[in-house]
Amino acid sequence: MSESILKLQNATMQFGGVVALNDVSFEIKKQEILGLIGPNGAGKTTVFNVITGVYQVTKGDITFEGKSLKGRKRYKITRGGVARTFQNIRLWGDMTALENVITATDTHKRSGLISGLFGLPISRREEKRDKARAQELLDFIGIGEYADRLAKNLPYGVQRRLEIARALGTEPKLLLLDEPAAGFNPAEKVELAKTIRKIRDAGYTVLLIEHDMSLVMGVSDRVVVIDFGQKIADDLPAKVQNDKRVIEAYLGVPEDAS
Amino acid sequence: MFNLRDWGAGVWERSGRPVRVLIALGAIAAAASLPLLGGTFLNTPIADYGSVLVFPVAIFVIMALGLNIVIGKSGLLDLGYVAFFAIGAYTMGILGTKTGLNSWEILPIGIAMAMFAGLILGVPALRLRGDYLAIITLGFGEIVRITALNLNSIGGANGIVGIPTPPTIFGLEYTFDNHRLYFWTFLIIILLTIWMIRRLSVRRAGRAWESIRQDEDAAELMGVPTFRYKIWAFVLGASVGGAAGVLYASKTLFISPDNFTLQVSILILACVVFGGMGNIWGVVLGAIILGYLPDRIRFISDARLLVFGAVLVLMMNLRPDGLLPRKKREKALPEKGQS
Repeated sequence: MSESILKLQNATMQFGGVVALNDVSFEIKKQEILGLIGPNGAGKTTVFNVITGVYQVTKGDITFEGKSLKGRKRYKITRGGVARTFQNIRLWGDMTALENVITATDTHKRSGLISGLFGLPISRREEKRDKARAQELLDFIGIGEYADRLAKNLPYGVQRRLEIARALGTEPKLLLLDEPAAGFNPAEKVELAKTIRKIRDAGYTVLLIEHDMSLVMGVSDRVVVIDFGQKIADDLPAKVQNDKRVIEAYLGVPEDAS
Repeated sequence: MFNLRDWGAGVWERSGRPVRVLIALGAIAAAASLPLLGGTFLNTPIADYGSVLVFPVAIFVIMALGLNIVIGKSGLLDLGYVAFFAIGAYTMGILGTKTGLNSWEILPIGIAMAMFAGLILGVPALRLRGDYLAIITLGFGEIVRITALNLNSIGGANGIVGIPTPPTIFGLEYTFDNHRLYFWTFLIIILLTIWMIRRLSVRRAGRAWESIRQDEDAAELMGVPTFRYKIWAFVLGASVGGAAGVLYASKTLFISPDNFTLQVSILILACVVFGGMGNIWGVVLGAIILGYLPDRIRFISDARLLVFGAVLVLMMNLRPDGLLPRKKREKALPEKGQS
């Protein structure tokens, strides 16, 4: 098995008296699609938030490529190779689709404000390169024809896809997808599953939060289940589906059994 | 509804390079000929027309352009912008009267001082957002004014008198009433500022500011060093304000703390909002109108402020995004597009 890229070690996240994550440990291997599921409020998005630095874990540690992410600034985590999408779409609505992606590619520019002001060759070169790269990513995700439209005017499904393209614009090694299929119809979900596999095959590692079981089970190599902030299963999709604790978490415990 | 901004942008986008150069030169020529139109309808009834064009109009335009970087581009509400104007003006006043430096030599120093002040204010203040940032900057503006008021070494309430005019260059004499020369000089500064902002807007910095304005958290999580770019916006805005201050002082030759009240900050903010936040041409137009209008209608004496206020209220109701709103259009969708 290949080496792991991200590791959560006994990650605990407390908000006052509320324990959102309790001693959660799991790892993601390179070029893997890991599904993260759990009932509403289980703490899935909190996992994303502690990985991307929105929250700092109260206890435990998170390492990415062997280095701790604790205390690192959010934009530096992204620049280090962890990018995410948002459950509730958070595109920059007044920018075009292409500009949204280019802004993310700026992460890797060496030219800054001064070279931009005087139009130095490095700035021109990078602008040209990243514009081409952004268009390439839009095409890769399959929304190339929307490049010049304002993000806020795009159809819902395209916005969701644009979120993925924008995250890829930061050239991540690990891509975190937060419910990318929310609000999709079955045909769109099939399409998305293809896209996610395509992303993995292009060399990215994917951590996927999703409620749609057929999508998660179909696309993931491995599935981690959390409930009430605790990890209750971590196995192959087929095994997780038959795990007693997972079924209990989703369907509840029969009364006479408790 | 007819959108002048989109119409203008459409004309600009459709035309090739020679036409664009022609449009730009035409606009510059039109602006440069403004001081020659004193005898026409434009004339201001009481104040001297040439003088009005320099202050408030030209100075307002410069300041509004600077404040637009902070508010319009990056979405940071700065209510103490007058502080940078004051720092530029006082740098000119102090150095101009106490050393042998002339206006052109002091200009970069004044800009540097304002930028430094922007940095000092920005580092603590820009950790805050929205209303909190507005309150801090409001306080900063007042602190600068009150400090000037209480420091007797820089004139206290009496201010600084006898600030020298800029030295003669190319045989052009900057005498007190040579308003046209001042106007043309300020016009060059305005053009330089516009060039700077346009350059930055289409590159990395402009996109970073735009993303911060629209969703700062998303920007940070997409790898934009938001704090650094907010500081840059603040410092660049301050530099333009500082330049306006130096020019103002070397034109009026007398400054006092009364010139730098909160009212100035609010008025410049009004220019930006009235003209169209985030759009250079809107902001320029807003500053011209709000700078010029009170003097044009001075014949109705005390009622002019009432009319001025009514115009503002009416306009903001009719066009809440300003005279020339920021970019909203998009290129046409290619035919092959699906729904």
